[in-house]
Amino acid sequence: MLTSRTFLKRTRAGSVMKVVREHYLREDIACGAAACERCGEGEQPCEPRLEAQPSGAASSLCPAPHYLLPDTNVLLHQIDILEDPVITNVIVLQTVLQEVRKRSAPVYKRIRDVIAKPEKHFYSFTNEHHRQTYIEQEQGETSNDRNDRAIRMAVKWYDEHLKKLNNEETIQVILLTNDRSNKEKAVEEGLTAYTCEEYIKSLIANPDLVDRLASVSDEGKDIESGRIIFSEHLPLSKLQQGIKSGVYLQGTFRANRENYLEATVWVHGDAEENKEIIIQGLKNLNRAVHEDIVAVELLAKDEWVAPSSVVLQDEGQNEDDDENEEEKENILKSSINKNMLRPSGRVVGIIKRNWRPFCGMLSKSHIKEARRHLFTPADRRIPRIRIETRQASTLEGQRIIVAIDGWPRNSRYPNGHFVKNLGTAGDKETETEVLLLEHDVPHQPFSQAVLNFLPKMPWSITEEDMKVREDLRYLCVCSVDPPGCTDIDDALHCRELENGNLEAGVHIADVSHFIRPGNALDQESAKRGTTVYLCEKRIDMVPELLSSNLCSLRSNVDRLAFSCIWEMNHNAEILKTRFTKSVINSKASLTYAEAQMRIDSASMKDNITTSLRGLNKLAKLLKKRRIDNGALTLSSPEVRFHIDSETHDPIDLQTKELKETNSMVEEFMLLANISVAKKIHEEFSEHALLRKHPAPPPSNYDILVKAARSKNLEIKTDSAKALADTLDKAESPDFPYLNTLLRILATRCMMQAVYFCSGMDNDFHHYGLASPIYTHFTSPIRRYADIIVHRLLAVAIGADGTYPELTDKHKLADLCKNLNYRHKMAQYAQRASVAFHTQLFFKNKGVVNEEAYILFVRKNAIVVLIPKYGLEGTVFFEEKDKPKPKLSYNDEVPSLTVEKTTFYVFDKVKVNIVLDASNIQHQKIRMGLLEPKILESGVPNQTTELSTNNEPAKKKTKK
Amino acid sequence: MAAMELRLPVPRKVVSQGLARGSDKHLVAPGDTITTDTGYMRGHGTYMGDEKLVASVAGAVERVNKLICVKALKTRYNGEVGDIVVGRITEVQQKRWKVETNARLDSVLLLSSMNLPGGELRRRSAEDELAMRDYLQEGDLISAEVQAVFSDGAVSLHTRSLKYGKLGQGVLVQVSPSLVKRQKTHFHDLPCGASVILGNNGFIWIYPTPEQKDEEAGGFVTNLEPVPLHDREVISRLRNCILALVAQKLMLYDTSILYCYEASLPHQIKDILKPEVMQEIVLETRHRLLELEG
Amino acid sequence: MAGLELLSDEGYRVDGRRAGELRKVRARMGVFAQADGSAYIEQGNTKVLAVVYGPHEMRGSRSKALHDRALVNCQYSMATFSTGERKRRPHGDRKSSEMTLHLKQTFEAAILTQLYPRSQIDIYVQVLQADGGNYCASVNAATLATIDAGIPMRDYVCASSAGFIEDTPLADLNYVEEAAGGPQVALALLPKSDQIALLEMNSRLHEDHLDQVIEAAIKACKDIYTVLDQVVREHVHEVTTLLGE
Repeated sequence: MLTSRTFLKRTRAGSVMKVVREHYLREDIACGAAACERCGEGEQPCEPRLEAQPSGAASSLCPAPHYLLPDTNVLLHQIDILEDPVITNVIVLQTVLQEVRKRSAPVYKRIRDVIAKPEKHFYSFTNEHHRQTYIEQEQGETSNDRNDRAIRMAVKWYDEHLKKLNNEETIQVILLTNDRSNKEKAVEEGLTAYTCEEYIKSLIANPDLVDRLASVSDEGKDIESGRIIFSEHLPLSKLQQGIKSGVYLQGTFRANRENYLEATVWVHGDAEENKEIIIQGLKNLNRAVHEDIVAVELLAKDEWVAPSSVVLQDEGQNEDDDENEEEKENILKSSINKNMLRPSGRVVGIIKRNWRPFCGMLSKSHIKEARRHLFTPADRRIPRIRIETRQASTLEGQRIIVAIDGWPRNSRYPNGHFVKNLGTAGDKETETEVLLLEHDVPHQPFSQAVLNFLPKMPWSITEEDMKVREDLRYLCVCSVDPPGCTDIDDALHCRELENGNLEAGVHIADVSHFIRPGNALDQESAKRGTTVYLCEKRIDMVPELLSSNLCSLRSNVDRLAFSCIWEMNHNAEILKTRFTKSVINSKASLTYAEAQMRIDSASMKDNITTSLRGLNKLAKLLKKRRIDNGALTLSSPEVRFHIDSETHDPIDLQTKELKETNSMVEEFMLLANISVAKKIHEEFSEHALLRKHPAPPPSNYDILVKAARSKNLEIKTDSAKALADTLDKAESPDFPYLNTLLRILATRCMMQAVYFCSGMDNDFHHYGLASPIYTHFTSPIRRYADIIVHRLLAVAIGADGTYPELTDKHKLADLCKNLNYRHKMAQYAQRASVAFHTQLFFKNKGVVNEEAYILFVRKNAIVVLIPKYGLEGTVFFEEKDKPKPKLSYNDEVPSLTVEKTTFYVFDKVKVNIVLDASNIQHQKIRMGLLEPKILESGVPNQTTELSTNNEPAKKKTKK
Repeated sequence: MAAMELRLPVPRKVVSQGLARGSDKHLVAPGDTITTDTGYMRGHGTYMGDEKLVASVAGAVERVNKLICVKALKTRYNGEVGDIVVGRITEVQQKRWKVETNARLDSVLLLSSMNLPGGELRRRSAEDELAMRDYLQEGDLISAEVQAVFSDGAVSLHTRSLKYGKLGQGVLVQVSPSLVKRQKTHFHDLPCGASVILGNNGFIWIYPTPEQKDEEAGGFVTNLEPVPLHDREVISRLRNCILALVAQKLMLYDTSILYCYEASLPHQIKDILKPEVMQEIVLETRHRLLELEG
Repeated sequence: MAGLELLSDEGYRVDGRRAGELRKVRARMGVFAQADGSAYIEQGNTKVLAVVYGPHEMRGSRSKALHDRALVNCQYSMATFSTGERKRRPHGDRKSSEMTLHLKQTFEAAILTQLYPRSQIDIYVQVLQADGGNYCASVNAATLATIDAGIPMRDYVCASSAGFIEDTPLADLNYVEEAAGGPQVALALLPKSDQIALLEMNSRLHEDHLDQVIEAAIKACKDIYTVLDQVVREHVHEVTTLLGE
């Protein structure tokens, strides 16, 4: 049976085109019910997914056995409920699926996952291709109406179809729809239809589900009741028109972390000007949420604003504090420097929402028995969300997950619903869970399917392995790592050759030997992308058996390795490079300190020590050459906790110390990475996975240059070399820490280094390392990129075969995208973890007074760095209930004058640190200024915080 | 305003269903194995592949003793000595004309195999060669007989009979050679008032019946006198009848044409080509022919 | 906007077919009286007309004649109205000349040209509506036209395309699937002898998948063969009955 769909389409050129597509209708599509004998006898029998005796939750509305059939909107908005194990035996129509796919990719993925779970008994019915359920769009019927009718048609068909079964009890099909007219029509046609709410409320045994109902109300309903705060969003068609004609600009909405009334929109496309548009004020933000794709309209030039340096938190509880908002908005506008004006705009419409479930806490309403409460997300870029729940008292003090359902025009906050309870706030487990969730780090235990691909224990190197590998067990290989490291992925050796040259080798764990392309283990690792190191926990990318045992190059055991061996002369010039799969036997696993000790010790003359000394000598030469080429040495304060072995609470905190041996290992890793990058790019010019570090735009350095100038130092930023040289020279005899501070600032000016596929880009340069080409090869245990590079290299040297995805540059580019994302998120998660532990640390410590340096000056605050803890925090000069001190901000220098004290960047101050647990969601480390004292304002009233959800510090440097 | 006739698409009727005659023939399509018995000889429309005799065209298998042929439903004309053909001059060369006869290669008419005007038999001189274009030039139609077939399948013609020669006024219809039935004579003066030459090559010439036989045939001077309307109508009707027969795949010979002509008389000439009329008159023709055979 | 889902998880393609299924094929032989052979084929919404003239005397320059076999002359063209957007295609548009060349290669492999030395066989193909698989439909139409013309062939030539999406080979791609830009294979097969007359691939496909895709294409070709063969047999049967010899 064949029918054709004809429709008109507008082409890119703007002309109207008639499109005719075939649409086959079939007779062989099964209904999916287990009790049905007639269906599923076709050529490709599909196993029936719906239970013969549906055992869903008991419903008072419909006690008989039944299948559910949700319509598009129910699926879109109530996916949280449908995911609940209680809801089973659901028929998902193709019409619905397609619509969902068009409207929301994340929900589509979730429903697909649900359908894939056999225990959920979800069945997706291809009704659009079923002969009896397909319907044509009628004249004058909108496509939405047609889809509704198609859904009713399918329900009707199921009804009739199931009646023919030889069951004692006919199974009913219940249409779930929130659309009033659709429901009425369905009832008219004799179908059983309920709204989602009705049905869920009727589930006697599961009252808690009600909370998870998304609160979708018809927007029109309450519009009269409330004051309209926001202007209407324009429909998509108008937006597209506007974007085409240039009236509107399309971009990604990024809320400001520090100021809830400000956001920037990153305009898509290559246009030079108006790349970044500032949106200020609640009305202009117009209900856009972080990460949404929005359309903005530029404001007239005289309405342009400057990015504010004010830090503002949304503290309001009631909805009636609009006056407050205006007041706050006025703050933004005050003291504007003409030069700082940036293109500004307002959001006119949302092109695509990017809502996800958010972690956070409930701010319980002050009114007793209230069911509406505000939820404060942990991510400060996300507005607070109003939810309806009856378990507010139980949820209080708990970390919960909430999803946004909508944001009506008359509401100050978006509406949402409760999804999941994570646990008590402040609890270490819960907080870790929160920060993993917030940073989208996959952290579930490895599934059985993944574990099945692990090698069987006991494992040993086989004859076949030996045949294809070089036996390098005779070499005096050793590994140097931080103490306590169990996933050792690199080992080194160095020896003198007969011809007087030196042979240096880097041996990397051969992870790609164990993780074969395409299997579940590989897919899972690719998804995780990287191992995430939190302060007290490691989220492995590969299962522990591999990461800490089979792949880990531990001492005195035979291990498979991928070796990169150079022949060098004594000037560390490479004469020959060679790659091979090998078998090694590490002679020692050393820590940096141990290695350093061996090198320094005059008495030790053994093989390992000689080897280390050789390596160290070469590394120094290599490093010098690299620095001469313009490689940057940057600095960022890194902290290490000493963790109590029993309570797992941090007992001490210290910044990391760098030894010569650190740099030795690093030097060889860099060399190996560069050598491998060259090799794979030579072999696969189109699909080598490389890493690049773009040069930052000159404007990024503004802050650094200005700060240096205030100390009478000049920083040149026209090239990496100039930057490196001037940074080296920037010393001040009476201020030894200045250089480090400058380097910290310089780090903040940098761009993010990213993975990319060589066929998709032509700029390969690595700015920071001053290398024309670079990749990651040396840590396959903890980075997936390295596994891919291993595979590429293995193919290049003929040690392994290739596979389709490896040579598909688009797949590779997608992979890079995921890896970049995961790396970024892992970094953020790491920082967040450090921040959390810092808080725990100070919680135990009480009040601490420390020396600090000013890193940035803001309009109403200063950001300080405490070198001792590598801790960064903001000191505010305003407080709610206190009289405001007189502040004057100078953007040129930059400096901030509070009353009579002026603060410059890099000024040394003294602060006290105390943990403020008054808001359990955002436990804060408050910093108060001790020195210099500000007149007329006592200590410690200038306070604020470093909150649990740490932020990428880089963001702060933007403008 | 001239009336216009519009036709809407209708499902095609399978005519053969009406005919009771079942096909007891062995029908094959290209690639079909006819026999694996190696004792047979390979004929037209077959080839040997892997010790098997395989058909290379679609049609009916014909067996003559050990020789196996497949006769395609329609092909180009395959010349045989003695065939009557109608052809068109395409080229004048030294001592010969090239004639398009719907064969795979153009046929040849040698100057020496032609009766010169006046019917005299003499050696061809150089003057004759120079005057060739005066006798027959490109585009002229001739009737001729196959004198010989060359190894590559090309045909040599002759017009050494007064029956053959240049054709004057008339209408040419081209049909598939396989639809022309082999008969003793291919020149027919039909009782309806026109004559036809049914060329074995599928070229059919319809012309007004000449009044004096001898004068017309074999001549090289065209009679340019206007043909009376009545004759022209008969010729047109015959043409359309032949097309109808071809469309319905009925063999062409004097009787079938004549019967068809008679069957068409109730209709206007221009209507004959309408599918339903074609079907009707050809069916009638079929029945009459069957009765005749019966 | 999410791109089109070319193969749903339930295993249906955008038009409702399963991965290995062909589009509906309709064909007719002998559509023109004047040509030696002619045929019309519809594969879904792809509609193609083919006519064959010959074998006949060489046209144009006689020097092109081959002394041991016939010359196969092909011409592929697309009607201006065949695509969604009207496009005038002057002669020698690159895609058409490529198609022309492919057709020529395909049919030189299938026609027993050595039987007709010094003559010429013309195959003209025109696409009336293009909805994917133009080459394949052209080959199939030309096969029928050649059979109709009574020109001896080794075997039928059946062609079908196959693509590879989400690790599944898809047979007989339509326009939407072609436009998605995945790898695509066009294969012309002599189905009785399993000989490949032409194999063309338009983008990179990993060799591990090649076998699967070719297998799918071969299966599709054989399915096409079944349909074409039925058309030919019906035609032959009807004509012989009518001729009634």
